[in-house]
Amino acid sequence: MGDSELVVNGRATALASVPEDERLLDTLRWRLGLRGTKEGCRSGDCGACVVLVDGRSTLSCLTLTHELPGASVTTIESISEDPVGRVVQDAFVAEGAVQCGYCTPGFVVALTGLLKELPPSAPLPELLDEMQGNLCRCTGYGSIVRAIVRAREATR
Amino acid sequence: MGFTLVAPDQPKEACALLARSAPGEISVLAGGTDVLPDVEAGRVRPSRLLSLRRLPWRTLGWNGGSLTIGSTLPLREIEADPGVRERIPGLAQAVHAVGSLALRHRATLGGNLGRAAPTSDLLPILLTLDAVVNLVGVDASRSVPVDQFVVASRSTTLRPGELIASITIPEARPSQYVWQRVRPSNDISQVGVAAARASRPPYWRIALGGVVPRSIRLEGAERLLPAVRPLVSELEAAAALAARLAPFATDKRASEAYRRQLVGILVRRAVASISPPIVPPVGVA
Repeated sequence: MGDSELVVNGRATALASVPEDERLLDTLRWRLGLRGTKEGCRSGDCGACVVLVDGRSTLSCLTLTHELPGASVTTIESISEDPVGRVVQDAFVAEGAVQCGYCTPGFVVALTGLLKELPPSAPLPELLDEMQGNLCRCTGYGSIVRAIVRAREATR
Repeated sequence: MGFTLVAPDQPKEACALLARSAPGEISVLAGGTDVLPDVEAGRVRPSRLLSLRRLPWRTLGWNGGSLTIGSTLPLREIEADPGVRERIPGLAQAVHAVGSLALRHRATLGGNLGRAAPTSDLLPILLTLDAVVNLVGVDASRSVPVDQFVVASRSTTLRPGELIASITIPEARPSQYVWQRVRPSNDISQVGVAAARASRPPYWRIALGGVVPRSIRLEGAERLLPAVRPLVSELEAAAALAARLAPFATDKRASEAYRRQLVGILVRRAVASISPPIVPPVGVA
C-alpha cells in the first residue's frame, strides 16, 4: 500500500478523490457512506466521532483525511471483526448500555482501542479515566460503566 | 474550509515555505487539534496548511538525565513512556491532563507550545523543569528557554520561517502537576500548579497555569522553601504567598477569590507529594 491511499475497514480508498481540507469524519460519512461514525460537537469534546487509526482511538472530526496516507482506519461498521471489538459490543448489549444510541459507536470504538492499548493488568479506574473523552447525555453512565467492567473482565 | 495542504519532508524546506509566505497565508499543522477548530470557526483563514507529519520529529530520547522530545510526537507517547513516568512524573501528569485520550493520540507538545494558550496545562510543568525550546529556521537554529519562548497569550518569540523542532528538559526532576476543573477530562483547568525539585539549590520551582497573559513561575514562594524537605511552617508560608502573588482575574471559568483559594491548596499538595514536609516534634520549642 502506498502513500496515495488509506485503508478503511480493510478496503483501500484512493486519496486523490478527497479534497485536501476534508476531515476524516466527512470522508467516512459522506464520501464512503459509513454513517455509523457520528458527528457530535465537531470540536473534539464529545467522542462521538472516534475511530481507530492504526489501532489508536482518534477524533475523526479533528483529523484531515490527507494526514493519514498509508494508515488503516477501523470504524464501528467493522469493529465486530475484531475479537476485542466483538466482546465490547456484546458487553454493551448485555448491559443495555444504550439509550438514544448516538454516542454508542464512539464508546464502543474507543473502549475497543483502549482495551488493546492498555495491558490487561490496567486497573479499572485507569480504564474509566481514559473513557472520559466520550460523553453520553441519556444513560447517566451507570449501564455504560457496567459494560466497561464486563468487557474488561471478558478480555483479561 | 478552502485550503490546500503541503507536507515537506525536509525541515529547511518547511522553514523556507513559511518564510516566503505572507502573514496569515500559511498555518502550521502538527496534530491539528487546535488549528482545525480555529480554521472552521474563522479565527484564522489560511490558504495553505503546512503539515509537519513527514518531518523527522516524532522522537523521544534520553541523554543521561536529560530528555529531548520531538515537537510532533503525539502527547500520548510522552505520558506512556516508562522513563518519563518514573523520572519526571509531573510531566506525565501534565500531559495526561490535556484533552482526552483520543485527542492525545494526535495532539503534540510542539503544537501546544506554539499556540501558547494561557490555559495550557503543559507550560507550568515545562517552566519548573527549565525546559529549552529548540528552533530551526531557514539559515540558523537556536535554542530558547521556555520562559522566554512564550511571551503572552498566543504570542511566542518564533521568527518568520522558524519552527519548533524539539523541547529539551535538561534534568529529570521529582515533580508534580495538580489542577482543578469543573470536569476532570476534556476541560480547561481553572488553576494548574506545577512543582519540581532540582538536584542543586535553589531546589524548588513552582509555576502556575490558568493565568493571563501566560503561565508564570512564583519565585517569591520558591524562595521560602530553602531545603529539599520543607518544614510544615515553610510550606504553609509558601502556599499563602503563592496565593497572594498569583495575578488572577475573574472570568467565565472561576472567580478570582476561588482561584486564590485553590492556589494555596494546590501548591501545598504539589510540594508535599514530592517531599513530605517535616513536622516539628511536639514539645520542642
